[in-house]
Amino acid sequence: MVTLLRWLYATPHVGALLSTWRGRLILAFVVLQLLLPLAYFARKDPHDERFAWRMFSPMRMARCVPSATLDDAPLNLAGEFHEAWLELASRGRFQVIEAMGARLCEKYPSKAVRISIDCTYLDREQRTYGGYNICDVPEL
Amino acid sequence: MAKKKGKKPAKTAPSATTEKPADKTAPSIDSAPPAAVRRDPAKRGLAIAKPRAAEPPPEPPAFWFGFDVAWAKLLAFRLVFFGLLALDALLQLRHAPRYGAGGFNVAQLPLLDGLGPTRVLYAIAQLVCAYLFVLAALGVATRIAVPLVAAIYAWLYFGSQLDGYQHHYLVALLLGIACFVPWQRPAEAGHATTVRTWAVRLVLVQLGILYLWAAISKLDAAWLDGSTLSVQIQGSVRELIDDTVGIKLVARLTILAELVLAVAIWVRPAWFVALPLGVAFHVGILMSNLEIGLFAYLMLAMYLLVIPDRAYVWLAERRPLEVLRRLFAPSATRDLLVGLVTLSGIAIATTLVALMCRLPFSLGVALGLGLVPLALVAHRRLRGRPGGAAIGAAHLVALALWVLVDRTTSVSVDYYRFWGGSSRRLGDAEAAERAYRKMVALAPDEGSGHFQLGRLLLKRGEEREGLEELRRAQELETARARAYVAEAQYLAGKGRTAEALAKAEEATYAEPTDQTALDLVDQLSGKKRPPAGAGSGASDDDQDQR
Repeated sequence: MVTLLRWLYATPHVGALLSTWRGRLILAFVVLQLLLPLAYFARKDPHDERFAWRMFSPMRMARCVPSATLDDAPLNLAGEFHEAWLELASRGRFQVIEAMGARLCEKYPSKAVRISIDCTYLDREQRTYGGYNICDVPEL
Repeated sequence: MAKKKGKKPAKTAPSATTEKPADKTAPSIDSAPPAAVRRDPAKRGLAIAKPRAAEPPPEPPAFWFGFDVAWAKLLAFRLVFFGLLALDALLQLRHAPRYGAGGFNVAQLPLLDGLGPTRVLYAIAQLVCAYLFVLAALGVATRIAVPLVAAIYAWLYFGSQLDGYQHHYLVALLLGIACFVPWQRPAEAGHATTVRTWAVRLVLVQLGILYLWAAISKLDAAWLDGSTLSVQIQGSVRELIDDTVGIKLVARLTILAELVLAVAIWVRPAWFVALPLGVAFHVGILMSNLEIGLFAYLMLAMYLLVIPDRAYVWLAERRPLEVLRRLFAPSATRDLLVGLVTLSGIAIATTLVALMCRLPFSLGVALGLGLVPLALVAHRRLRGRPGGAAIGAAHLVALALWVLVDRTTSVSVDYYRFWGGSSRRLGDAEAAERAYRKMVALAPDEGSGHFQLGRLLLKRGEEREGLEELRRAQELETARARAYVAEAQYLAGKGRTAEALAKAEEATYAEPTDQTALDLVDQLSGKKRPPAGAGSGASDDDQDQR
C-alpha cells in the first residue's frame, strides 16, 4: 500500500495535485466519491442505497410492509410515527426500523416489541426481516 | 474563491491534458493561483523518490487548474442553478411538518440524530435558503451567501433521512464545490473573458462519477431484461416504447447512455456528444413521469455548463441583456442612489411579504433578513467599493419570489394541511386544530380543512361549530361522502338515529360507491351489522407523502 502511494505520488499528475491544498482537496473529493458507493456492497442492509448513486436500481423497487406488535397485540405504527418515516420503512430502511424499535422499547419499557418487515423484490424471493423482540436484539 | 493574480499554468506541463482553454483570444482571469506548488513537498515530510527532490517543483495539472469558462456562461449557469434551488427550497417548505414530528428523527449521520431540523427550524431554514439562493443567483455577496447556504443545506440534508433523495445529496455536494467557484465577475471582465476555475471542472467530474455508478447499479439481470424499467415507466412514454423498440432495449440503452455521459460530460472535446445525449436523456426522464421531483430539471441545468462558451457570449451581447448589465454595473455616478435603493428595497419587500405572503414565519424571517442588505451595503462602503444598488434590488427580488411561489402554488395550504394531518394521526389534537384553523383561513373554499376541523371539534364536544364545519365541507365536496358520513356517525352516537340515517343517505347520493356510507345506511336502517373497522369516515388526503 505504502509502495502504491509512493508510486502515485511520484507520478507527475498526482504529485502536482498533492503539492497544493486545492489539489489535495480535489483528490480527496474525487477518491471519496469514487469509493464511497462501494460501501453499499458492504452494508448489511441491501435496501439502503444512500450515497451510492443507485438511481432506479432494481433494489429501489423493493416494497416492504412494516408491522409491529406490543406484547403480541398489533400496534398501529401510523399512530406512533409520521407517515414519511413509515414510507422509508416501507422501502426497507433498516436504520429507520431499528430506530423505530428503539423508540417503542423506550416508550413501552415493560413490553415486548416485535417489529418486522415483509419485503418483495423484483429479482429475488420474498423475505421477512425481524419478528423478534427488538428490545432484546436491537438490530434487524 | 476568485483571485485575480497568479500564474497561468504552462500548457506544456507533463501532467497537462490536451484540452484547450475555452477561448484562446479572450483574456483570462486565474481563480486558482498555483503559488503553493512552488513549495518543496519534501520539506513537509512527504516521502518521495530521491531523483524527484532535485527536480523543479511540479506544475499544477492543467486538467484542473487550466479549466477556463467564459464569464457569460458562468453567470448564466449561476442564475439558472441557484434560481432553481431557490424555487425548490420554497416548494420544500410544505414538508416542514414532517420534521421532528412525534420527536422522532433518524439522521443521515448517526451523530446528528439529536441535531436534526424541527418543523419550525426547517421552515425558517428553507426561507433563508431561498433568500440566499436568490442573492447568489443575482451575484450578490456570493462569497458569503454560497458558503452559508451550503452549510444550511448540508445540515438539512445530513440532519435527517427524510430528505433521502439522491438529488438532495447531489445538491449538498454541488453546493460544497460551489463555495470555490468565483461567481462574481470583476468589473474589468467582459462577456468573453474567461475565468480559470477548477471547481467547475470538479462539478463536471462529480456528474461523471454519478453517471458511472448509476450505470453500474443497473448491471443487474432485473434491469437488463427490462423488468425494473417496466415497473417504473407508465403512461404514453411506455406505450411509445412498447410500440417501437421495446422496454428491454431501452433498459440497455439507458446503461449505455449513462456510461457515455460518465466520460463525455467532463471531457471538453466530447461535449458535442454529451450535450444532446444528456439533454435527451433527462428530458426523456421528465416525460416518463418518474417521481424524482426536481432532479431532472437540476440535471438539465447542469448541461448549461457543456454548451459552448461562444453561445453565451453571443447571447450576452444582445441588447436587452446589455442594458440590464449596465443598469446594475457599479458606478460612481449612482453612488448617492444606493442608500435610497437599498432602503426602498427593504421597505417594499417587507411590505409585500406582510401584505401578501402566507408562508409560515415569512414576516418574521423577512424582518430579520432586512438587516442583510443594510449590512452588505455598509460593509461595501467601509471597504470603499462603489455601487451596491443591486443588493437592495436582489433583496426585493428574493422576497418577491416568496410571494410569487406562495400565490401560485399550494405550498402554504399544504404546509398547514400536512401539519394538521400528522398532528392528528400522532394524537396531538390541539396542534391539529390550530393547523386546520389556519388552513381554513387560507383556503376557505377547500372542503378538506373544514372536514378535518369539523371532526376534531366534534370530538372535543364543540357540536355547533363542528357541525357547521362539516356542513361547509358538504357544500364544497359535493361528490364526496365523508363529511356526510362524519355527521351521520356523530348523530348516531348521540342517539339521533333518524337524522343520522337521513345524513347517511345523503352520503350515498353524493358518492354512491362509498362503502362506508352504504354500510352506515344498512346499519342505521337495521339491515346489517357494521363491518369491522367501518365508520371511521376518515380520509387521509392530508398525508405528507411524495
